[in-house]
Amino acid sequence: MKPKAYVWPAIAFLLALFPLLQLEGYYYRVLSMIFLWVGLASAWNLTSGFTGYIDFGAVGYFGIGNYATALLMARGGVDFFPAVFTGGILSGAIALFIGRYTMKLRGAYFGIATLAFAEAAKQIVLESDRTFKMTLFEGSHGITLPIAHGEPFFYYTFLATAFLIVLTVYIINGHKFGYALKAIKEAEDSAELAGIDTQRCKVLVYALTSAMIGVLGGINAYWLTYISPNDVFSVIHTIQMIVMALLGGTGTVFGPVLGATMLSIANEVIGARFLYTYLLILGFIILFIVIFLPRGITGLISLKRVRK
Amino acid sequence: MTLFVQALINGLLMGGVYAVYSSGFSLIFGVMNIVNIFHGELIMIGAFNAYWVFTLYGIDPFLSLPLSMISVGAMGYVIQRILINRVVESPPMISYICTFGVHLILANLALLLWSADFRTVTTEYSGTGFSLGPITVPIARFVTFVIAILTTFGMYLFLEKTRYGKAIRAASQDKEMARLVGIDVKAVYALTFAVGAAITGMAGGLLSTYFVIYPQMGLPYTIIAFCVVVLGGMGYIPGALVGGILLGVIQSLTATYLNSGLSVAVTFILLFIILILKPRGIMGKGIVE
Repeated sequence: MKPKAYVWPAIAFLLALFPLLQLEGYYYRVLSMIFLWVGLASAWNLTSGFTGYIDFGAVGYFGIGNYATALLMARGGVDFFPAVFTGGILSGAIALFIGRYTMKLRGAYFGIATLAFAEAAKQIVLESDRTFKMTLFEGSHGITLPIAHGEPFFYYTFLATAFLIVLTVYIINGHKFGYALKAIKEAEDSAELAGIDTQRCKVLVYALTSAMIGVLGGINAYWLTYISPNDVFSVIHTIQMIVMALLGGTGTVFGPVLGATMLSIANEVIGARFLYTYLLILGFIILFIVIFLPRGITGLISLKRVRK
Repeated sequence: MTLFVQALINGLLMGGVYAVYSSGFSLIFGVMNIVNIFHGELIMIGAFNAYWVFTLYGIDPFLSLPLSMISVGAMGYVIQRILINRVVESPPMISYICTFGVHLILANLALLLWSADFRTVTTEYSGTGFSLGPITVPIARFVTFVIAILTTFGMYLFLEKTRYGKAIRAASQDKEMARLVGIDVKAVYALTFAVGAAITGMAGGLLSTYFVIYPQMGLPYTIIAFCVVVLGGMGYIPGALVGGILLGVIQSLTATYLNSGLSVAVTFILLFIILILKPRGIMGKGIVE
């Protein structure tokens, strides 16, 4: 699927004008949520979709971003933007360290190591106060942030962040770096032989993805004004990122955008009232994709074009 | 000192159960190269099986073990036949995500059917134990441990000595050659999954005698199974026993001296270190992709 390059900035521009319509707060909230997920799914896709290394622990960086921002703002009195920025840098730095080791693992081993990382991060935030007799993370009580701006502020912040993330993925997709990542997915050993420093590329892209997810986490914390470990480190977030990217088509630029938009709306319609029914349906969607649509919706469209 | 020995014993007994349900996970991975993310749900279903048989008919969980084995094993067979056999030769990413989808379906279906309540199976011997000097050994855990060791050993014998076991090992070593000598590889896969699931379902029944059971208990068990199998070596069945006991002891010591919530974090940090330093497991006999 190769839409004209100007279609997407045009959509973003129209969305930027949207608040002029003066609609109810509810619509801002739903759209902000869609932008959040577009950002998360696109960021996840940048590592996992492009290189084929399925990250089951992406929510770890989301949680780190949330907590870094929340702690800086609530405890340190830091302003929102510097706090979010620091949260993103911290997520990226942790990913740089973790990735140096996990990126040497392949396939299932990588998947589970990342899952273990995210669960460990959650447990540490949840339990270390109680274990080491300190007051930092507040354990399962969670943290309350200073009262936020109105909805339009978050609308624009999420829109701009999601736009920047998709733009980054778009640029990388056409860049040498993007080709290197795709080469890793196709045949890592051959890529290495062709002179690509595969380890370096993988770690870099992993850190970049994690920093993006960390930034989104930071905005999320300020948006919600209250966060708790079970919430922001919930494995369901990772599941959603994976399913959204898969549904739209992994390894493409706009697949995750499409998948995230569709599933966010589905989540809003079904998930808000029947969470477990939503997860059940998500399970069936996964099986459907895996068996009938392994390349996602965008894969289906490009297949049709080829047939014509 | 007594505390230390008690913690050690608890960990050892726990490790036996870890070993059983992890050996099913290891078998499935070793033969089909599939990381079964709904493994914990097989445990959950086995445990609920024991719970309902006990609650409705008053049959002891240890006596309903064969039922847990048969029903979960049959379920595993059907899922492998109609679903996983379709993706078993796709890129690994597709198969993980497929089992992930089954995980979501089973966990949430159970939640709709049985609600999120925590349930326990309370038998006459629940909470009782026999003492060895100052050390107490809980009866349910002890019996579980013995059954667990016997099952792991039995599975090892099944794979080494029987014709079916040989077919499974042949299919896992080289599926093209196995096909050439006349083995129906897809049927072997279904059999493997059934055996792995049956043992896992039985482990669920065993667990129900002293752990709370609820529909969403599965995922942590899957992760523990993965840790155990990585410790012992992926696809190497006796490794599950070593890994299980090691992990049980480590968790028990962490829970005793630090905090039980943190024992999960310690597990993951340990897993992380083992994956990086010794990807073939501490015995060096696992499969590495």
